[in-house]
Parts: sequence; C-alpha cells; structure tokens
Amino acid sequence: MGDDDWRRFEQLAMPHLDAAYNLALWITRNADDAQDVVQDALLRAMRYIGSLRLESARPWLLQIVRHTCYTWLKENRPQEKLLFDDPEDAWRDLADASSTEPPEIAIRKAEREQINAAIAALPVGYREVFVLRELEELSYNDIARIAEIPVGTVMSRLARARGLMRSALAPTRPALRTVPRPAQAG
Amino acid sequence: MKTNEDSWKIDAFVDGELDLAGQLEMEQRMEHDDALRAHVASIRALSIAAREKADRSKAPAALRERISGLAKASRPPAEPTLPRRQGVAQQLASALNGWLDWRPLVVSMAAAVMLAVTLNAVLLRSSKQERLMDEAVASHVRSTVGTHLVDVLSSDHHTVKPFLSARLGFSPPVAELPLPGSLFVGGRVDYLDGRPVAALVYRQGEHIVNSFVWPDSAGNSNPEFATERGYRIAHWAQGGMHHCVISDVNREEFQRLVDAVRSTAAG
Repeated sequence: MGDDDWRRFEQLAMPHLDAAYNLALWITRNADDAQDVVQDALLRAMRYIGSLRLESARPWLLQIVRHTCYTWLKENRPQEKLLFDDPEDAWRDLADASSTEPPEIAIRKAEREQINAAIAALPVGYREVFVLRELEELSYNDIARIAEIPVGTVMSRLARARGLMRSALAPTRPALRTVPRPAQAG
Repeated sequence: MKTNEDSWKIDAFVDGELDLAGQLEMEQRMEHDDALRAHVASIRALSIAAREKADRSKAPAALRERISGLAKASRPPAEPTLPRRQGVAQQLASALNGWLDWRPLVVSMAAAVMLAVTLNAVLLRSSKQERLMDEAVASHVRSTVGTHLVDVLSSDHHTVKPFLSARLGFSPPVAELPLPGSLFVGGRVDYLDGRPVAALVYRQGEHIVNSFVWPDSAGNSNPEFATERGYRIAHWAQGGMHHCVISDVNREEFQRLVDAVRSTAAG
C-alpha cells in the first residue's frame, strides 16, 4: 500500500470502523470472533482501497466486512441457519389478534435486554438486514449492496425480520401469556 | 386478505422507501383500515425501540490501534533508491548524446545499450527482492500483532505437515529446530510473492520466528541476509524449496536460527 492509499484508508475506511465492528459483532455474536473478522476484513480493504469511490465508503467497507463474516461463518459454524424458509404472512394474524394491549405498546415497553436478545435470536440473514436498517440507518439500496441481494429481497427480509421481532416482543396471545414485568428497583 | 407483497410494502412505506404515489396510496388506505394502522404503529414502535435501546458497539481501542498499525506497516519503506539510479542512467545517456561524434558513435551506442540492459536487470531483480522482503516483513508483523499466528497449533510436526500439505499442494519440510530455547508453535498458510506459502512458526525465547517455505526450481543457493524495518531476514533456495526466515532476534541468534533451519531442511 503506497502513501496515497494509506491516507485514503485512514481518511475513508477508518471512520467506519465502529460500524464495521458493530455489524461483525451482530453477525458473529462473539466479541473475539468479531475482532478477528474485522481485522481480516480491513486487511482486505487495504488491498482494494484504490477501487473505492469517495461517496460510498460506508457501504463499501460494510460489504467487505459482511462478506468476510459469511466466509468465517461458513468455515467455523457451518450449521448456522441463515434464513427460515417459511412463508411470511404472519403479520395480519398478529394485528388481528384479540389483544388487550396493542403490540405497539408492548414493543415500546420492551427492555434493552429483551430487544438485544430478540435481535440476536433472528436467523443471520434477517438479523443483518434488521441491524443495517435500524442500527446503521442505511437505505434499502445500500443494504442491497452490502448484503449482495436485490432490493426486493431486502424488503421481504426486513419485513420478515420485523415480524419475528414483533412476535418476540409482543406476544400474540396476551390472554394466555401476559407480558412479564420485572419489578423496578428504584 | 392481503398478499405478501403488501406486507413488504407496509415496511417500505414506514421506511419512506416507496415512490411518492405509493406513499400517498398507503396513507389513504390507512385512513379506513384499523389493522393496517395498528401494523404501521407497531413497525414504528419497533424502529424507535431498536434505535434507542439495542446495543451499538464501538470497536475496541486495541483493535483500532492494531489495524492502524497494520496499515502503517504495509506502506513501503521510505524512498527507494530506484529513481536516483534511473537518474544516473539518464544522465549517462544524455552525456553520451552530448558526445555524439562520428567515430565513437557505434561503440558508445553499444556501450549505452549494454549499460541500460545490465542496469535494468539489476534494478528489476533488486526491486523484486525488495518487494519480497517487504511482503515477508508485513506478513511477519501481521502474524505477531494479530490473533492469527497459526492455523494449526501443534508442536507435533506429524500434525502440522499433513495439514499444510493438504492446503498447499506441496509438502514443506516441517521439524522442530535443534536449538536451546526454541519452541515449535505450529503452522499456517500465508501468501507471499503472489503464491500461497507455508509459514512455520517458532518461538525463540521471547521472540517469534516465521519460517516461510515455497517450491522453487532454482538450484541451491547460500542464504542472503537483510535487515528490514528492524527485522532480520534470510532467504535461500535449498532442496527444491525457497526458504525465508524472519525474526527480531539479535544477529548471532539469527545466524544460529538460519543454520538450524538449513540443517533441518536438509533432513
């Protein structure tokens, strides 16, 4: 890497290291593994920094990180389920459920731990799309590029991810299962 | 009953990713569809909850430093001598041009061509070697500062050799070094000189030693020693393999290391 490339790397890629690490951590769900993957990914980024255009540094880097994560998953956790293959028509059942409390309210009341656990429990193909949209606040186009899928697939996976999150955070049969409320200490 | 496509459209609507007509149409539908309204509200609540409460982790400072260090280390060492030597060649050429006279012309031209050819060959070879040294240092540094020192952690060469052979398509000589204080750590597959190579890792006291090996059809040669950015490097051809040893031990210890690697490579 020449001096120019090194400067480009420091100025364009390094500012997105937190986003890179956050994505790797959500995909691998392990801090050590995430560090390994991010280091590998950034080494790749050094090699290809010359091909980076100025305006797209964040999705460019996240695409490399995501790709490295998947290579890593394939080698280290071949059993990891990437997606569910069931049809996604659950949302209306949820909305129509005779609930004493609208899902919206239950979701708003969700605790930090519940939300983290629900995201972590998503199959990785949905989890990454959810994290890129809700935590990195990226556009569908950027997400499509990073996850190497068409925009239509981004839409369907995001809708599915949110459906799964809703069922985790807002139980569909409140008559049978009340929302547990942890005792507040102070 | 709505189709699946509608379900995605609702999410895209909440994210503001529909075209204008799509956004307006969805707003109209919401006015008289309670279930749709509740659904939109729950998507928004989920977005807000995730953005406010889900973990957004920052990269650990040590990782950031390590990566910055690797980026710095992968820069070529300060100005190479190449441009200056080319300058000399150009000066010679222009001096020759200045002498343009009838009789010595042919001889001078021949001399210039010979000089240029020789210079080029020397420069080409030295720049190729410099690149190799550079790559070896970068690879060594990477292995010592990163978490990826070895692919296979074993002091047993019967474990390491088949592991490397299976991944490389050649079988590197793998053995412990007959040196006091030397410990065989394991092996990994690395990339040097545009090809996958075997990297055998030893610990010599506090120091890490990387011994790179790859096939080389050239005949046996004596080790050439060099120092790059504070690391000692030796490389040579032996038994159909090219060997490149690198470490930051002192000169005497490095010489003993190289001798030990050569004696084990000789089998």
